[in-house]
Amino acid sequence: MTTLDLPSRVHATLVTDRRELAPGVVLLELDAPELAAATLPGQFVMAIPPSGEAAATALGVYEAEMRRASLLFFITGKRTRELAELHVGERLDVLGPLGNGFDLSGSPRHVAIVAGGVGIASVLLPAQALIRAGARVQLFYGARTAALLVEAQRFADAGCEVALSTDDGTAGYHGYVTDLLERSRKHDVVLACGPSPMLRAVARVAAQIGVRAQLSLEETFACGVGGCWGCVVPIVRTSAQAPSFPPASEGGSDVVNARICKEGPVFWNDELRW
Amino acid sequence: MVETQPSLAIKLGKLELPYPTLMGSGCYGSGEEFAQFTDLRKIGAVVLKSVTRLPRVGNPTPRLVHTPAGMLNAIGLQNPGIDWYLEHEVPKYGRRPWRVIGSVAGFSVDDYAYVCERLAARDEIAAIELNISCPNVASEGETFACDPNLTAKVVRTCRGLTDKTLIVKLSPNVTDITAIAFEAEAAGADALAVINTVRGMAIDVDTWHPRLGNVTGGLSGPAIRPIAVLAVYEVARVVTIPIVGQGGIETTRDALEFLLAGATAISIGTANFTDPRVPERIVEELREYLLNRNLASIGEIVGKANVGFATAHEYEGDQG
Ligand SMILES: Cc1cc2nc3c(=O)[nH]c(=O)nc-3n(C[C@H](O)[C@H](O)[C@H](O)COP(=O)(O)OP(=O)(O)OC[C@H]3O[C@@H](n4cnc5c(N)ncnc54)[C@H](O)[C@@H]3O)c2cc1C
Ligand SMILES: Cc1cc2nc3c(=O)[nH]c(=O)nc-3n(C[C@H](O)[C@H](O)[C@H](O)COP(=O)(O)O)c2cc1C
Ligand code: FES
Repeated sequence: MTTLDLPSRVHATLVTDRRELAPGVVLLELDAPELAAATLPGQFVMAIPPSGEAAATALGVYEAEMRRASLLFFITGKRTRELAELHVGERLDVLGPLGNGFDLSGSPRHVAIVAGGVGIASVLLPAQALIRAGARVQLFYGARTAALLVEAQRFADAGCEVALSTDDGTAGYHGYVTDLLERSRKHDVVLACGPSPMLRAVARVAAQIGVRAQLSLEETFACGVGGCWGCVVPIVRTSAQAPSFPPASEGGSDVVNARICKEGPVFWNDELRW
Repeated sequence: MVETQPSLAIKLGKLELPYPTLMGSGCYGSGEEFAQFTDLRKIGAVVLKSVTRLPRVGNPTPRLVHTPAGMLNAIGLQNPGIDWYLEHEVPKYGRRPWRVIGSVAGFSVDDYAYVCERLAARDEIAAIELNISCPNVASEGETFACDPNLTAKVVRTCRGLTDKTLIVKLSPNVTDITAIAFEAEAAGADALAVINTVRGMAIDVDTWHPRLGNVTGGLSGPAIRPIAVLAVYEVARVVTIPIVGQGGIETTRDALEFLLAGATAISIGTANFTDPRVPERIVEELREYLLNRNLASIGEIVGKANVGFATAHEYEGDQG
């Protein structure tokens, strides 16, 4: 297997490990040296379905070290089911790394990371990078039920303080993960990835407790590379986007549509106008 | 022993392209977005996203839904408007190794004329496509592709404004696509793009909400391929100008179907979302196909489906 003859961001990877972490939750480990070396925390790939019969799927890069990159995903439909059926030794082509990751500059000392469900897949790399840089990282991790709280130990091993919550009370705090964040009140910055309602709650809580938050957004992707304008979110126009972005509303306001796949997926809560 | 390579070159009006593969409007940005995944020198041309006279916000999200063998989209012609486009985007195109074709959308003949004339005046733009068939803008835009008289009026007006190749993109959402095709040719179109997306809808049975922010959208991908092949076949029977076949082309065999049905060129949209290397692969495999069959050029297979074609201009509209 070689990636040398391919353009720089196409990787022909080999599946080196495949584990079912919980029913319907799969971890695929890939031999992907170039991808592993290039990925920044919070970036994603487009995984090309081996059958070629469905569109590519956006997946966060969960781990990236040495030759290894891994993808952690929930089986939610046809495309993720096809990826879940890959065996060790089979080939998976991915495009990436794509998008902009979390902004880890500013040497934050106390960081809260909020992960909801499969959002956990995009926050291991930033957690590791922050801990390496000397930050204290608290992970608030929520899921519907205990069985879906996968990989919590992995974060503890990496040096995070982990607080869990479940919607049904089967593990950790019984309620929303954002309740845990609300009670903490001692962070320099919040990073979050999870379903939209959770991200909106994180944005609200962060504003209340006076902390800035970076949110990794999700929307249905087609191209994943900025070519189709299918994945937009309204944001306040920044100098980098002016004036290349179409307005997000009529009347020439300073709110523009940004592409989640290209300008995101991570945005600061105070630039979003969603 | 050096064999002469079969030629993949084609002509659409005055526009000469080294390969018969176009990238569908709205699916490929300006090409740049895909440069890191494939060799863009192997692409015939990129059809740019449709541009309108004034900036357009586009539709609310979700704008995309994955459906069986395809997807629904309702982008809603989000674009920065022709002024901004000419000033900031178009200057970049001249410096690139691939050709770009401008795409014009509008809500009145005047709109089309205004945008077409300004776009066509630019050297960076190799040809103009008139998108008279966008299904996602509250049906206003679509009325053009649904009405032979309006089609004729838009095409004739734009024809008077430019010598560049004029491609007219037709909608499948009509009772008789041949009537529109016939009028478009008569009004001066150099080529026809067949087809745009097919109107569709999906509903979330848990929340009871439509799955697109715009409620309805346009279906693309392999799900619409047989509809598109038929449209190309039917249109090929009534026009003599070249057809750019499109709708669900993912493989070389799919491309060949369109060529055999009567398309001179093919366009790839949704398949780029599965794998951006598809266009490059199709070009290589088309060459192999011709080589294996001892054919000198791609033109030799156009319209060769074994069905028998009417002679051009035989069509005389509805017989009643
Ligand atoms: C930047 C980014 C990073 C991502 N990272 C990850 C990741 O690391 N791990 C991960 O698991 N996912 C991730 N995702 C999400 C993943 O891309 C999607 O879940 C993917 O679309 C699943 O594809 P699918 O075909 O298997 O499911 P789909 O069929 O697309 O289903 C996806 C979801 O849509 C809903 N749905 C599907 N069909 C219907 C229907 N008929 N009616 C109503 N609702 C329906 C379901 O709720 C389902 O959960 C990421 C997404 C983005 C944008
Ligand atoms: C996301 C998306 C956006 C599109 N935007 C445009 C557009 O702006 N103008 C246009 O003429 N066609 C547009 N189309 C239609 C395509 O150019 C193409 O005609 C159609 O999708 C069928 O081909 P395909 O099945 O290969 O995608 C769009 C299609 C998609 C999927
Ligand atoms: S998915 Fe195409 S622009 Fe984001």
